[in-house]
Amino acid sequence: MRKFDLCLNSEGAEVILATSSDEKHPPENIIDGNPETFWTTTGMFPQEFIICFHRHVRIEKLVIQSYFVRTLRIEKSTSKEPTDFEQWIERDLTHTEGQLQNEEIIARDGQATYLRFIILSAFDHFASVHSVSAEGIAVSNFS
Amino acid sequence: MVKLAAKCILAGDSTVGKTALAQMFRTDGAHFQKNYTLTTGVDLVVKTVAIPDTEDSVEFFIFDSAGKELFSEMLDKLWVSPNVLCLVYDVTSEQSFNNCSKWLEKARAQASGTSLPGVLVGNKTDLAGRRAVESAQAQAWAQGQGLECFETSAKEMENYEAPFHCLARQFHQLYQETVEAFQALV
Repeated sequence: MRKFDLCLNSEGAEVILATSSDEKHPPENIIDGNPETFWTTTGMFPQEFIICFHRHVRIEKLVIQSYFVRTLRIEKSTSKEPTDFEQWIERDLTHTEGQLQNEEIIARDGQATYLRFIILSAFDHFASVHSVSAEGIAVSNFS
Repeated sequence: MVKLAAKCILAGDSTVGKTALAQMFRTDGAHFQKNYTLTTGVDLVVKTVAIPDTEDSVEFFIFDSAGKELFSEMLDKLWVSPNVLCLVYDVTSEQSFNNCSKWLEKARAQASGTSLPGVLVGNKTDLAGRRAVESAQAQAWAQGQGLECFETSAKEMENYEAPFHCLARQFHQLYQETVEAFQALV
C-alpha cells in the first residue's frame, strides 16, 4: 500500500476545530502543505485543534513544525465521530530561537480517524503551528 | 479580525481598590461598592475591549485576587502564565506605593521569561486632601519599570477604563509583533 502524507487538505484531511482563530492565519494553514502559512494561537493556554481524516488511517510518522510550543499532547480517536479520544503522545519541545521547531515522532499504534493536538503550554504569549504531516497508509473508508 | 484572550492579573496591597476598579470596569461604571469586603480567594472578571481603528478585540480574564499577605501562597497558583499586569496602589498610602516593586517582582516571576506588559494605577484620587504619593513620583518609577502610568478614582468613576484600554492596546501590539516574527521564520 502506498505511503503518503495523510494530513493534507488535498488528500481529504480537514481541521474541524480550533480554539483560536485569526482570519489572516486560519487553522487550515496547518494542513495546506506549505510551511510558510501557519495558524496562530490568540492568547491563554491550553489551545487545541482537531484534524479529521474522513477515513481510517494508520500513521507511522508524525512531523510537526511549530514555534514557541512548549508542551504538546496528542490524542487520537478511532471513532466515526470526534469522540472517545485517548491520550497517545506527549512531548516537551525545545525552543529553537529564530527557526521552526521540527518535531519528528515515530508513531506506534497509529490507527486513527481523528487527531487532537493540545498545546498545553508555550514559551511565549502566543504560539504558531506551520504544518502537521502524518506519514502512513489509508486503511479503509467510512462505510 | 481576531479576538485575543488575555489573562490579566490585578496586583497590589489590600484595600487599594483592586476589586472596586475591576467591578467599575466590568459594569461600565454602574457599580461602585460602598462597603469594603476583603477579597479572600479570587474573583474572575471577564470583559471584552475593542481595539480602536481595527476590527480586533481583546477579551480580558481579570484575576482579582486577595492582596492580603495571608493569601499570598495561593497567588503562585492563580497567577501562573499571566499575559498582562494591572498594578494598583492607593495615592493616599505611601506604603502601598512602595510595595508595588514587590508585587511587580512577584508577577514577573510568574511570567517565566516572557515579557509582561503592564500598567501602574494610582487609585482614590478623590481623596485629594490625603494624597501621599505625587503623580510625578509614580510616573518616574513606572517609567523606569516600563509600565504605563494612570491615576483613577473608582469612586468618582474617573479614568477607570483607561488602564484596561492601554493594556488591550499593548497586548494587541505584542500579538502583531509576534505574528510578524512567525512570518519571518520561513
